[in-house]
Amino acid sequence: MRLTDLLDARVTTESGHVLGRVHDLRAERTPRTLKITGLVVGPSGFLERFGIGAPESGARIRTRDVVPWSAVIRADSRTIVVRDEARKRQ
Amino acid sequence: MSSAQELDLGLGLLDHQLVDCEGRRCGNVDDLEVVGVRDGQPRVAAILVGPPVWKGRGWFGRLAAFITPGGAVRVPWEEVERIDGAVHLRRTARELRLGRGDDRARKWVEWIPGS
Amino acid sequence: MRKIFQIALGILAAIGGFVDIGDLVFNVEAGATLGYQLLWVVVVGVNSIIVYSEMCGRVAAVSKRPVFDAIRERLGFGVGFGALVASQIVNLMTLAAEVGGVALALELLSGLPYRVLILLGVAALAVVIWVTPFEWIERIFGYGGLALLVFVVGAIKLHPDWGDVATGFAPHGTSSDKLVYAYFAVGLLGAAMTPYEVYFYSSGVVEEGWTPKDLGLNRTNAIIGYSLGGTLSLALMISAAALFLPLGVEPQFIGTVALGAQVPLGTIGLLLALVGILFAVGGAAIDTCFSGAYNVAQFFGWEWGKERRPSGAPRFTLAWIVLLFLALLVIMTGVDPVLVTEYAVIFSVVALPLTYIPILLVANDRAYMGQYVNGRVANALGLFYLVVILIVAVTAIPLMILTHQGQG
Repeated sequence: MRLTDLLDARVTTESGHVLGRVHDLRAERTPRTLKITGLVVGPSGFLERFGIGAPESGARIRTRDVVPWSAVIRADSRTIVVRDEARKRQ
Repeated sequence: MSSAQELDLGLGLLDHQLVDCEGRRCGNVDDLEVVGVRDGQPRVAAILVGPPVWKGRGWFGRLAAFITPGGAVRVPWEEVERIDGAVHLRRTARELRLGRGDDRARKWVEWIPGS
Repeated sequence: MRKIFQIALGILAAIGGFVDIGDLVFNVEAGATLGYQLLWVVVVGVNSIIVYSEMCGRVAAVSKRPVFDAIRERLGFGVGFGALVASQIVNLMTLAAEVGGVALALELLSGLPYRVLILLGVAALAVVIWVTPFEWIERIFGYGGLALLVFVVGAIKLHPDWGDVATGFAPHGTSSDKLVYAYFAVGLLGAAMTPYEVYFYSSGVVEEGWTPKDLGLNRTNAIIGYSLGGTLSLALMISAAALFLPLGVEPQFIGTVALGAQVPLGTIGLLLALVGILFAVGGAAIDTCFSGAYNVAQFFGWEWGKERRPSGAPRFTLAWIVLLFLALLVIMTGVDPVLVTEYAVIFSVVALPLTYIPILLVANDRAYMGQYVNGRVANALGLFYLVVILIVAVTAIPLMILTHQGQG
């Protein structure tokens, strides 16, 4: 699977509520690996595509949530389904 | 503010410049190979570079892939030394089979005096 | 003392390098058509280029990355590729116009046939690029462009009504055709804020190995150099307004532009004007040519830069050679360089937002910039001029069509 397959995938909870789209993947670097730790999910807005509101950028327009990967039930290149608890964190 | 160990893949890695251990620019991160998605332990296995890789980058990507010659190169993640604005690799471009387009193009240019 | 000398030289090169063929054409045509009314637009354009070139110089010095990298990284492959294609089309048009301008200036200076001079001019440019170190290219053409100061002297000698000139610095309503007014305003802004200059400048900063220590120099160069360079544009408009407007002359030729210096100052004025045009436009041709090669190399991640030497950056080298050759073909068809200039400037205006938005985004990104991230002032100015750019980009082509390129 490729990163670009996962980017822009639709994120829904197992009960069908749509959380948004995958804007980015959060990862953690260890000496030998790069582990994916979460999904950056947000509205499928126009501005988000351009990195506006990303953590490192000074231009904070809308905050977005990071859904930890542990909440992911299944993922393919179109849809990612997460546990219902993830919704409560929004 | 992300710590030094944490980064966003799309913003901090994708489309960034690759630089080999000698400081030579040798391509961009065109995509990332991700494994372990189904078993809940996803990680980045490799960096993917080259025109065929652009097919996954939308309509313009497919167009660009169609008109551009060149092969795809897979750089295992272990080859990455550090990441700042660019992605710095542990070995030379030649060893990693990157930058071959420049190697091929060199013969067109090196015969001219002063090159 | 050395530092002051160094700064002064940098400023001189910036002044002489400020004017390109777009500025020549639009400032003179605006003066001949609308008199002094659009002087304020030149000031807006100069301020805008100061703000953005300081910003992208800072981005390049701190992150060691040029601006075009940011377009693909922040806007994605698709938008980046579109921006690449669009900028190359505009680059080619601009380069063809500049090559034509060089040939015309040479024709007026030497009397040799235009077509021959196109070939000679392109060959000379290629040799200069190949042989001359990067900093020296900017210096040679920058200092040569200083000959355009003759237009400042000439404008003063023409004794325009300085009261009238002063009113041109305040935006005000116009009695003449509002659409023509708007068209020239757009064209002047486009000529002042050319994308190729921004790409070239940021790549040049990386080429010359600037670091954050050079940021002060960067800011001084930008502010003083471009401000003084802007006076050249103002002088062009004022002389055209004083000379051509009363006579109803429409300057369609480069030679007519040079008249703006010949009438007040005689043969020496004409010579200096032609030499100035030759160097300013020739230098701009090199900047444009490199800008095209930088863009394509940076988009694909190739090695790039003059300081890498041709065999160190082969595809980059081939890119600028091919671009120069294509421009040669275009201008050899006999198309009028002034006409190509007008189209090139207007089309580049449309591409301006694609150029400037990523600069603003990256200048705000702490991962790139660390402590040198944009402050509130830089952001306020940057956003203000971005709005100006957006308005101008959207209205450019409709205005060009509606006013038949300013003919009314």
